[in-house]
Amino acid sequence: MNFKKHLYEGLFTKNPVTVQLLGMCSTLAISTSLFNGLGMGLAVTIITICSNVLISALRNVIPNQIRIAAYITIIAGFVTVVDLLLQAYLPALSSSLGIFIPLIVVNCMVLGRAEAFASKHDVLSSALDGLCQGIGYTAALVVVCIIRELLGYGTFGGGLLGPGGAGIRIIPQPYPAMQIALPVGGFLILGFVLAGNQWLMKRLNLKTRKKGAKK
Amino acid sequence: MKVSVLRLALTLLLITSVTAAALAGVNALTGPVIAQRTQEQTQAAIQAVLPGGSDREITDFTDETGLVQRIYAGKQGYAFEVTPKGFDSAVTMMVGIDTQGKVLGIDIISHTETAGLGAVAAADTPAGKAFRQQFAGAGESVMVTKDDGSVDALTGATVTSRAICTGVNAALACAAGLP
Repeated sequence: MNFKKHLYEGLFTKNPVTVQLLGMCSTLAISTSLFNGLGMGLAVTIITICSNVLISALRNVIPNQIRIAAYITIIAGFVTVVDLLLQAYLPALSSSLGIFIPLIVVNCMVLGRAEAFASKHDVLSSALDGLCQGIGYTAALVVVCIIRELLGYGTFGGGLLGPGGAGIRIIPQPYPAMQIALPVGGFLILGFVLAGNQWLMKRLNLKTRKKGAKK
Repeated sequence: MKVSVLRLALTLLLITSVTAAALAGVNALTGPVIAQRTQEQTQAAIQAVLPGGSDREITDFTDETGLVQRIYAGKQGYAFEVTPKGFDSAVTMMVGIDTQGKVLGIDIISHTETAGLGAVAAADTPAGKAFRQQFAGAGESVMVTKDDGSVDALTGATVTSRAICTGVNAALACAAGLP
């Protein structure tokens, strides 16, 4: 039970997107504006925490043979609840994310945490794991969103800031490269973000090793 | 450890039942709110394309295209809810047509077009407004310039632009058959 360790793992060494490569579908598809990234990240975080907690609480009740079916049912339940709540109270986000909210059911990150962590640990650390993995997912998503939105549309904070939620224009028209906001740009930018995270981890590792050597 | 089949089945049954009950509860809670929102959206779309329109539905109409979903009557004419097939899936849009058979305006209620390209058609931006404005006043079938029509298609979104034209045409054809 160590919040700092969990958070560090979620953000860097075990980041669901950039290291475990889970939840790629949603990451590529919706990462075109800050609003989308934050909304999707928040939805996935809430669902991961809820499903982790419930699955962890039931880990001794669910027989091993049917665990995946049980996990998926629980996850699908939470996803549908979130989907209905968004449709009712946050229609802007709901229409912006569209089909990708119900598709959180098959976001491997949620099932992955259920299988790899929640089914083996107690409720509290499972909740913590869900929170930290969710933060890592959101962080990775937001980074991809900001880069794609900036290069693709030339704006920052689309859907949240600026007049009518159009975002703050940073690169004037017609210089933004629309391709970056399209699928091809998604793959490209995601690749760079993966590489960036690897580089950052290596740097941090070297630093800690140097410190160790001095001692 | 060997677990009996019966226990497996019952456990799963229990989990699915509890989930179903919880979902029924949430649905009962959010259902009316969602229905009201959809209603408001439709109302806003009718008002946008047919000033002074009402939600009085006309059910007696002939439509050969199969795209017209609903028709709402107003003082100035009719609002047609049409669902042409877009780039990805159906685009739900409202087309207002006056009693002379001229298009008053169009409004897109929901769609799943590509963000930044086809989605511009529905966007509340100058480009989106200009695109939709092109249809106002059209009396006969519309087409994009690529198909020798007069509608300037959206950049990189010819399929979406064609879909909108198809929707407007379906509404026009249907309007011609109304009294």
